[in-house]
Amino acid sequence: MPSSFFNPTYVFTSAIILRVVLLLYGLLQDKYSPLPYTDIDYFVFTDAARYVSHGYSPYNRETYRYTPLLAWLLVPTAWPGPTWFSFGKVLFALADIVAGWLIVLMLKSPAGGNMRIERALKFASIWLLNPMVATISTRGSSEGLLGVMVVALLWAVLSRRITMAGVLLGLAVHFKIYPFIYGISIVWYLEPSPDDSKRETVSSAKDSSPTSFLQQLKAFITPNRLTLLMSSLTTFSALNIIMYAIYSTPFLTHTFLHHLKRIDHRHNFSPYNTLLHLSSASPRETGLQFESLAFLPQLALSAIFIPLALAKKDLAGTMLAQTFAFVAFNKVCTSQYFLWYTILLPFYLPYSSLLSSPRLGMTAAALWVGTQALWLQQGYELEFLGLSKFIPGLFTAGLAFFAVNCWILGIIVVDIGNKSIGKPATSHNTGGRALKEKNVVR
Amino acid sequence: MRERITFVHGAEDAFDPKQLQIQEENSLHIKSLKAAREDRMTASLYELPQELWRVLKQCHELHIRWVSEHAFPSVAPFISTISPGLHVFFTPLKDRSAYRSTLSAAPKGVRGTAQMYITRAENYVDINYDTISQSLVLSAFWHSESASGRWDGQIDNHGGSVKVEVGVLAIEKATQPEELSLGGFLAVLGEDTKPNPTLFSFPSRHHISPSTSGTNYSTAFIQPTGLHPTLRLTLPPSTDPPAPDCALHTYLTLPSSLFPDKYQLSSSNFLASNNLHSIRSLSGEIDLEAPTWAVSKWGSALLLELAPPETRSAQWHADIPLHLRYLRPADGGSTNTSIPWPIVFWACSSDEGTKMNTNPFDRVNLGYDGLFGPRTMFYHLRPTNGGVSLVDELKVPVLDLDESKVRWVESGTVMVVLLGFFWVFWTLGRVVARDFGLGTGSARRKKD
Repeated sequence: MPSSFFNPTYVFTSAIILRVVLLLYGLLQDKYSPLPYTDIDYFVFTDAARYVSHGYSPYNRETYRYTPLLAWLLVPTAWPGPTWFSFGKVLFALADIVAGWLIVLMLKSPAGGNMRIERALKFASIWLLNPMVATISTRGSSEGLLGVMVVALLWAVLSRRITMAGVLLGLAVHFKIYPFIYGISIVWYLEPSPDDSKRETVSSAKDSSPTSFLQQLKAFITPNRLTLLMSSLTTFSALNIIMYAIYSTPFLTHTFLHHLKRIDHRHNFSPYNTLLHLSSASPRETGLQFESLAFLPQLALSAIFIPLALAKKDLAGTMLAQTFAFVAFNKVCTSQYFLWYTILLPFYLPYSSLLSSPRLGMTAAALWVGTQALWLQQGYELEFLGLSKFIPGLFTAGLAFFAVNCWILGIIVVDIGNKSIGKPATSHNTGGRALKEKNVVR
Repeated sequence: MRERITFVHGAEDAFDPKQLQIQEENSLHIKSLKAAREDRMTASLYELPQELWRVLKQCHELHIRWVSEHAFPSVAPFISTISPGLHVFFTPLKDRSAYRSTLSAAPKGVRGTAQMYITRAENYVDINYDTISQSLVLSAFWHSESASGRWDGQIDNHGGSVKVEVGVLAIEKATQPEELSLGGFLAVLGEDTKPNPTLFSFPSRHHISPSTSGTNYSTAFIQPTGLHPTLRLTLPPSTDPPAPDCALHTYLTLPSSLFPDKYQLSSSNFLASNNLHSIRSLSGEIDLEAPTWAVSKWGSALLLELAPPETRSAQWHADIPLHLRYLRPADGGSTNTSIPWPIVFWACSSDEGTKMNTNPFDRVNLGYDGLFGPRTMFYHLRPTNGGVSLVDELKVPVLDLDESKVRWVESGTVMVVLLGFFWVFWTLGRVVARDFGLGTGSARRKKD
């Protein structure tokens, strides 16, 4: 008999029961309460799926801003009978479980930390038994689907299934754009493995100082990197070409262009929110418009500096830091975006100083929750009491939340940075490889 | 050009034909007449000034209606209701390019002719034009004479250039349920030497809701309104349909500052909990996200079927959830937006073969009537508000443009974002610098 709760049967049974209970509870609430449990987005998805099942474009449904793949996937929800309507929620919940199973698989693997099953399950429970995650999926939000794609991508890279990684990357970017930032860290991470025969060429290229740019480039373009690039670009382009061929301009407008030209004036957690609101309502004719440059610090950190500085130390941690930066510096930020990095926490927390120093961890958690609560309080007074809380209330609360995010991001960066120093508890993976490399050099 | 002036007095306000004296050939004197009044002027297209004629030539149909914000009691046959405000219904004749020029020019061109009516009208003014009749019809309605409550004065036919018909009528008991019956006196100036008695009946689209079906309603916003105001209709306990196949409806005319969410109004539980049945029609600006400065349409119109509760011992409510767009930032952090009261009516179908358009007082193209079949009858409930305006003012929180607050937004945002950026950049820099240092150190050691 298993001595601890953290064995696969218990954890996965609990995760499944949690979702089944929430699903059934949701059916009851939907049936009897005027306030539906089901997320408003789920009605958007299922309406779009109904259009698709009748041979129409999913973009006939207003505010459908996703890939047609999602509507296709949910076509069974348009089948007759109330049971089929929940098909999407079951699918999203199932995606959660699969994502959790992949997390466990990776944490156990040599590349992911060589954890014992019990410890791996503890960290995977951050995702599997997280009530927020389970609620979001069972309410019918598709974030769980993206979660499984990102974890599968990570798993494919770490287990060197490069073509599959490229396909997953292309698919994820087609689905939600932002995962393109992972492309850069994966390319950077994919330096020749110890078993790779070309490894020595690269290390010698590194050591000998006067190398031409061409040689360096040649060394950089490894078969793995090429495979990743080609497979991801092919998948991404193929999906877009197919969708464009079927749905033409509405597909481009709603899936991609909408995200570029949206005004984002409604209050949200983003530090830019008040500035965007102000400049959208009363545009200035002259002067530098800082809000139009908002993508610069965001992409500089999430797509360039973080991957370059950290990807070779720990890919999963780097992806977490990238997502964290991307969300914190985004022009629009809502709580569903937090799921984007929640899925990556199980890979970072095992060596995080937020856990090794409980005081630091508690402070970070308290500040992260506290500044959000402050913002929510202001938002409540605006939305429901009708008080003008834009400035200073929401403005300062948004900036405070942003500042806390930057501070936490700093901690994450330092933690990942520490990995190469080779503390035994913190670097199963890169430490191990560094040892092997030394042996080979000698 | 023809002019028809109709006075309708109540049964209790006894009318003596002596109050209506045809003094000379072309004029008529009215003495102390307590009645509602409708003036209706019809001009064919060629009788109009060229400026106006040109504008109307581009229209297939044009209906401009202005309704006062003050409540007035119903007087048959003038029963139809519309929400207070200016309503313009326009159908261009040809292509859409005509749409803009005509729409901006029409009110301007019509204004000269209609000015007299608008300034004098107490309750409502209609301006109607359509290509089939090729004529412009202006009508204005007063529930009663504004100052004294009694009409006094002279009506003449401008030396015979206008055919003027005057009627003083009272409602009589109709024989058919869909009919109205009027009796009284008629006179055509320049033709008749004395008022002629008359009695006539006609089917009418619009009726007053009988007391068993509820006669009055009132509206209010549930406080606090926030950014998601709920409009509450309060209806009387006795609301049985006037006929078996009738349904109770409300028609809302909303400015672009507010919008109904058609998806929220599609959830059956939600509708049922608010005594609503379903959306029958929603048109106009229905974008669910855009702020007012990003929408171009005037607003939206919503026709909702209500669901009276089964047990009707007390007053009941129908709650209509609405949502505010973001309005333009303003000093002080709040702006007002005006929302006219919706109208409430029973819609019933009438017998096959009823000819509604034989009604000399027929009023069509009101916004909601076209959403029903041509033989639909409307039983109207009246708004009761204790004499206050039928336009509700809503205080909307907006971004405060106070200079002392706003000036920190740009510099504050830029400063905090840059500080955050450089903090993360610096921590990354430290990691890279240490790696670089360690890297060269170990490399050197290796070489050693």
